[in-house]
Amino acid sequence: MKQNILLQLHPMTKFYFTLFIFAVVLISPGYIFSFAIFPILILIAMLAGVAKEFLNIVIKALVTVLIFIFIMQMFFYPGENVLWEWGIFEIKQEGIKYGLLLTSRILAIGSAFILFFRMTEVRDFVKSLEDIGLPPMGAYVVLSTLQIIPEMRRQANTIMEAQKTRGVETEGSIFVRAKAFIPTLTPLILSSIAGTEERAITLESRAFSAPVKKTSLHQLSKSNMDRALPIVFALVVIGLIVWRFFL
Amino acid sequence: MKRSFKDDFNMMAMLLIPIAVAVNLVGFQLANVLRLPIFLDTIGTIIVGVIAGPWVALLTGLITNLINGIFNPVYFPYALTSIAIGVGAGYLSKYGFFKSVPKTIISGIIITFIAVIVSAPITVFVFGGVTGNTSSLITAAFLASGQELWSAVFSSSFITEVADKVVSVLIVYFIVKAMSDRYLSKMNYGDLYMKRNNRK
Repeated sequence: MKQNILLQLHPMTKFYFTLFIFAVVLISPGYIFSFAIFPILILIAMLAGVAKEFLNIVIKALVTVLIFIFIMQMFFYPGENVLWEWGIFEIKQEGIKYGLLLTSRILAIGSAFILFFRMTEVRDFVKSLEDIGLPPMGAYVVLSTLQIIPEMRRQANTIMEAQKTRGVETEGSIFVRAKAFIPTLTPLILSSIAGTEERAITLESRAFSAPVKKTSLHQLSKSNMDRALPIVFALVVIGLIVWRFFL
Repeated sequence: MKRSFKDDFNMMAMLLIPIAVAVNLVGFQLANVLRLPIFLDTIGTIIVGVIAGPWVALLTGLITNLINGIFNPVYFPYALTSIAIGVGAGYLSKYGFFKSVPKTIISGIIITFIAVIVSAPITVFVFGGVTGNTSSLITAAFLASGQELWSAVFSSSFITEVADKVVSVLIVYFIVKAMSDRYLSKMNYGDLYMKRNNRK
């Protein structure tokens, strides 16, 4: 895993690649080109050794949405050429075309972002943002959010179990279930905000808000590849714009 | 009271953000577990808006959607909606809209309008009108009955949002009421909600 060249790229390079896909998809005409990007992304995921997780998330997050969008466009996009008709439902050629265009773009852009987060640790990405000017406070907020979420999920379950033991109903009519929401959420929020004071003291005892340059234990380095690739991306995008709009 | 933009971002407010983002996510999860027909996924953002002001809430909304987006990129464009909800809640709080139950309900309706006005164009332009959730089915039903795309998207998202947002702001109202003066005194807009004010 450690030797993987793709995974070792600087997070910013991978991020530029995602933006590159975004730009390419928006510039390129038609759906064939955008659909062609997806296999390329799968190939990259395979090379980086994350294909399985990548496909899993794509299927979970995007496929239903895409099917929905496609069906909607097929039936409801305004058009003249009716291909098939049943009562008020009409399938139109324009609808199918627009549906394919829309879904191809969402698939390409969405999966490019999914791939980015499969290949990049959020910690590295935040660090690279800090290097280009994100305040350390911002970086801390994002990272501690990621840490707090599973912690609070666990706590929410504990509180809910405790309230069930007390006799708060979590089954039954919708009204009964809705009433279980507040006794779970209120203690969760109140106990969590009580902890912020300790966090503030801990951070301040390390001079976190002192107006000086911070040293980080976690360092990222850029290779030659990381310097060259963004330029390549930019050139391709400029080339595409020229080809699409000026030729 | 006049405050500068920077004053809003003090340490205590920034430390509230991770909790609020987690509350957004946990609220959504709880609503799922309890099989409630509403999302309740903006409670954290609204709380931050109410006690820490619009700019901190803006960041909360943004971070919530970025983190949701890691696993489902459909959330990325809707970051704008979360941001608008946060800023809206912040300004409503500034003008005292979370001080009593009736006013809170009014602010819930205002927040619904903000959410619908910001999210409908995203739904139409980015996703062509549907995103595969419950409101999409209503949109499809409206479209089938012959409505225009825009009005179908507006009305379906209004129907699904209004209950969600009004319930959310009421929950926020009761949670803020339960917060201690000791904590509220450290938040920028907290002094509006301190119990001490009620004692004469």
